[in-house]
Amino acid sequence: MTAPTIGFPRLIRPTRSRLGAAGRSWALWTGVAILALLIVTSIVSTFWTPYSPTASGTGALQAAPSLAHPFGTDGLGSDVLSRTMAAARTDVSITVVVVLMALVVGTVWGSLAGFFGGAFDYVTMRILELLNSFPSLLLAVLVIAVAGSGIANVIFVVAVLPLPDYVRLARAEIRSKKEYQFAEAARLVGRGPFGVLFAHLVPNSLRPLLTYASVNASYVASTVGALGFLGLGIQPGSAEWGSMIAQGQDAILSGQWWISGFPGLAIFLLAAAFHLISDAIADLRDQGSAA
Amino acid sequence: MVALALPRTAPSNAGRAVRIARALRGPLLRLLGAVGVIVAIVSITFLVSRVFTADPINLFVGDSATEATRQQARTQLGLDAPLIVQYGRFLAGLATGNFGTSYLSGEQVGPELLGRLPATVELGLYAVIVGLVFGIIVGVAAAVFRGTPLDAVLRFFTTGTLALPQFWIGLMLLWIFFVNLHLLPGPTGRLPIGMNAPGTITGLYVPDALLHGDLATATAAVRQLILPVITLSVGSFGPVARQVRSAMVESLDSEYVRTARAMGISRPRIWFGYALKPGLLSVLTIGAGLVGWTLAGSVLVEGIFGWPGIGQLAITAIQSSDYPVIQGFVLYVATLYVVIWALLELVYVRVDPRRSA
Repeated sequence: MTAPTIGFPRLIRPTRSRLGAAGRSWALWTGVAILALLIVTSIVSTFWTPYSPTASGTGALQAAPSLAHPFGTDGLGSDVLSRTMAAARTDVSITVVVVLMALVVGTVWGSLAGFFGGAFDYVTMRILELLNSFPSLLLAVLVIAVAGSGIANVIFVVAVLPLPDYVRLARAEIRSKKEYQFAEAARLVGRGPFGVLFAHLVPNSLRPLLTYASVNASYVASTVGALGFLGLGIQPGSAEWGSMIAQGQDAILSGQWWISGFPGLAIFLLAAAFHLISDAIADLRDQGSAA
Repeated sequence: MVALALPRTAPSNAGRAVRIARALRGPLLRLLGAVGVIVAIVSITFLVSRVFTADPINLFVGDSATEATRQQARTQLGLDAPLIVQYGRFLAGLATGNFGTSYLSGEQVGPELLGRLPATVELGLYAVIVGLVFGIIVGVAAAVFRGTPLDAVLRFFTTGTLALPQFWIGLMLLWIFFVNLHLLPGPTGRLPIGMNAPGTITGLYVPDALLHGDLATATAAVRQLILPVITLSVGSFGPVARQVRSAMVESLDSEYVRTARAMGISRPRIWFGYALKPGLLSVLTIGAGLVGWTLAGSVLVEGIFGWPGIGQLAITAIQSSDYPVIQGFVLYVATLYVVIWALLELVYVRVDPRRSA
């Protein structure tokens, strides 16, 4: 192991192939660019969309994409582009909030379990086993089915699902690092246990957690979409990508692909951006440890 | 393994019965644990669904029904008893194989689930097979040709399948192959409308039709299957391909593969006979995940293709608070999941001797 570093190590080692290196930075910047585009879109949509996303009858019903309506119109004559933009706000913010919540809670919980061990650690592991004994999307569907839909429930459920993975990762990292010299040094200069843990150990264990958070973000984006598609997420009919796809489902069979098509591409962009970023972070880590 | 960890010096006159009991202790404990997990999951669903949801009585009586009618309906359904009594009845029913009656259809839940099982199994089984086969092939190819344009293309494709929403892929496939190209049939379920199901032998239409020698039905069933199977297999393809690629990149660099190469063993044999093995092992570790993704996917995919399986039943039940069906579904999923985990563990110990130590 190299000395623990925060942030990305510089690319020192010549890569196995040119294309690999080019591919990596290409992946990172594409991911970041797509994500930035989506975030800007969701910000812009708060004060400007071509038409009102909630207004019906802005054009003919189910009109094909045209200059006036680049993404076409849906069954109520609403502008699909405006609705897709407005939905970016919902989907992107839910994804970000969920991942941040899971990352923070999971890291704190897992670090405490890994650092202090004992009964707390034991109970933690048993809880994780129970959570792992059920397929996660189904768990989400069931919990929302019985607890009712609504944004708060969706956020809560989707954030709890990946929690075991964050806890396990953080716990493993802290357990492997707590006897390292830099931790011992911090202890020797008089840092209390919480100081050692949160000022030294946790910051040095973040990289695998961030890699996972990025993969997780793409799953969160699809899960939120799937819940919306099933009519279990946000109120059906509101501007959310998944429920927009569900709205256009019947129109597809008569050839109007754009009502479902564009929101689906939007989910794809969001998920793909996080995948690209996580791949790039993971590759940088591999290089860092081999250098 | 508990049984193996026992000291070898156990008295030899302990007798046959004791030895058998010891050998069975591990599996028995595991079985008890599995049953415990299933009961826990089912109980939690029961309690949560009773505590949090809107009164299901509205499903039976109209909004304008009087309080007296409502009360009567509650008594009929046993919803007036205290929660703990309802829970007791529910558990007793489970023990005797009685899952209750669907609020919506009035059918027994057990037979209804069983009747829909073959449709889900046929779809899920083919999807897992397709996902595994293509995932392994793509993973091997990407690892063998890593760093080349082929690797980049395959990686792009794999990431694409991971990032595209599964239900959306299904809809777009329908749009392309049914609406535009007229190549494949529309979302009418397991057979085109008006066609009769083959006589039941396995419950799976394709093998059944073939066993009856009914080639026309078999072809029709296969054509109905193509789009849903592709859609569902997308869920397992991506993870398998990634897992195989990363495991194989590692094993291709290892000493034993270099030795094999030095010995002049042919390349395909090195790839599939030697280097792939650790990759397959890592696929095994996500085996339960495969089943989980396929099940979750079937809930989404069956709805899109009008597939009369368990996933569609579950979604309808969930959207209309049909508790007995929801609980039957949860029980089915939990059981399946626990069984798969147990099987995987057994297989894993066999395949990887390190695990039994």
